[in-house]
Amino acid sequence: MSLTKFWKGVPRPLRIVTARSFVIVPQMFGVMLVTFLLIRLLPGDPALLLLGNMATPEAIASLRERLGLNLGIWQQFLHYVTNIFHGDLGISIFTSNPVLVDLIDRAPATLELITYAMILTVIIGVTLAVISVVKAGGALDYGTRIYGLAAGAIPDFWVALLLIYFLFYVAGIAAPPFGRIDAFVTPPPQVTGFYTIDSLIAGDWAAFQSSVGRLTLPVLTLAIVNAGALMKMTQSTFAGVYRSDFIRHMRASGVPENVIVRSALRNSLPPIITLVGFLFGFLLGAAVLVETIFAWGGLGQYAVQSVINSDYPALQGFVLVAAAFILVVYLVVDILYELADPRIQV
Amino acid sequence: MNGILNSILRSPRAVFGLTLLLLQIVAIIFAPYLAPYSPVEADPLSSLFPPSAAHWFGTDVSGMDIYSRVIFATRINLLISVSAVALAFVLGVPIGLLIGFYRGPVTSFVMRIFDFIQSFPVFVLGMALVSVMGQEIWNVAIVLAILFLPVFARLIRAETLSLRDRPFIAAARCSGAGDMSLMFRHIMPNALAPAIVQISISIGMAILLTAGLSFIGAGVRMPTPEWGLMVATGAQQMILGVWWVSLFPGLAIVVSVLCFALLGDAAKDWADPTLKVRQ
Repeated sequence: MSLTKFWKGVPRPLRIVTARSFVIVPQMFGVMLVTFLLIRLLPGDPALLLLGNMATPEAIASLRERLGLNLGIWQQFLHYVTNIFHGDLGISIFTSNPVLVDLIDRAPATLELITYAMILTVIIGVTLAVISVVKAGGALDYGTRIYGLAAGAIPDFWVALLLIYFLFYVAGIAAPPFGRIDAFVTPPPQVTGFYTIDSLIAGDWAAFQSSVGRLTLPVLTLAIVNAGALMKMTQSTFAGVYRSDFIRHMRASGVPENVIVRSALRNSLPPIITLVGFLFGFLLGAAVLVETIFAWGGLGQYAVQSVINSDYPALQGFVLVAAAFILVVYLVVDILYELADPRIQV
Repeated sequence: MNGILNSILRSPRAVFGLTLLLLQIVAIIFAPYLAPYSPVEADPLSSLFPPSAAHWFGTDVSGMDIYSRVIFATRINLLISVSAVALAFVLGVPIGLLIGFYRGPVTSFVMRIFDFIQSFPVFVLGMALVSVMGQEIWNVAIVLAILFLPVFARLIRAETLSLRDRPFIAAARCSGAGDMSLMFRHIMPNALAPAIVQISISIGMAILLTAGLSFIGAGVRMPTPEWGLMVATGAQQMILGVWWVSLFPGLAIVVSVLCFALLGDAAKDWADPTLKVRQ
């Protein structure tokens, strides 16, 4: 009873965060189980697969020992989990570095790409949706219908190649599609890992310009492909709210149109937040393709390399990190959703 | 059947979608007659020819005729996507019925598994599974089926949950119908509509995923004609201004996915006229 009372006394935002954070523990456990079983799906000896064909018998024997392959399957899983908690994701066959080190090296590149892509996607998607609903029947409304239909059907890797052809080769206005920064520009000293932010911190204007230029095409690719889905979803939610009684009442009371739009947008926020969370997952998948095309050097390209080279420790590590990242994003989304909608009981 | 035909003919989008579908069916059946060259025979002497009367869509780096390959690839791409979705549907429907009809620890365990599958980024999980299982055409289809299965099972489960407590089910039970008969004869026919609507949309997504997997080298392998793989072979040349190698197979993907998206919309309208898609 007193515990319930205490819980009720905790401020609502804190209650939401705590309640949600507990859910992630079994989810993470499940993710580890999946990545563990992923390698066990492989026919043959996991130790041989994890070490590659060049492995010596001693190395195989010692890895079998470390993975606990001689034990039962549940004990093996326990070993795997223990190793993860010690930060041991294995050694990459291809780069010969610990997988964790490789992943940490590459994570900022991918995060920078996804973050800017997300921002641009939300700006494009929400703006188009609002305009098409407010000015229904206009030329832009018609345009969004075609865009909404087409965006879901266009492969992102193809868009990237078309953008390279038209903006880099034909028009010559885009930066070359190789890497995050020009070869003759030194990357800024690492603070956040985002080249755009780090170069500003270092006051290195040339590095900033170069990294923004390199970001343009991949970010544009991701935004063009993903803004369509966000736009359609926002359209239907926003249109519903925009036609509702309270908006009509506002208009009848003479509230200016921009205030009405803002208030309608505020009320269509919860479903939009959910979709933005899903978009993060999509962007992470799309980044795999886009990074390969732009030689981005991030997690996505690392994953593709690991697939091509049958580098299973690296692949396993990537899948684990990607899934953990998505879980955290969903957690944040759930929390934001409940914060945005005061009607939800915690 | 008449109703479906009428509702299709009334919507220009559905007619357009159906036309695109017919085009693809023609390409699948008559590929050997439509394609002027072999889709897998390399000819180093005619490497990277731009589009011309002899090679409508040009040739790729190994001199293969792109038009012929685009036509033949329809077979592979649709074979993989349609069989993947069919497998997901055939397995997803009974699973959805079972976990909707019965309650208990097994049900919630299955639901948690679906949660996990769906919480992974689709493409990342697909890529990992294909590379672990081996890059064969059928493995791509099986992986896609695993990825789509939860979608169908969930749709069926949701319908089953709302149907199982209806009076007609109680009536059937009173007349002595067993669980199996209740599920498959009484509930299933009434629960299928949303899952059927989902089929077309899923095929479109499967085509995109197959192409993406092949593009990064985790799907179909050369020289099999497959759209995503063909876009990949042209990716390097795009920077040098050779646009035709990637452009045409990419267009084929767009047309094919668009076709199934349009048909999906039409099916949605047909299944629930009150839920008209914003036109």
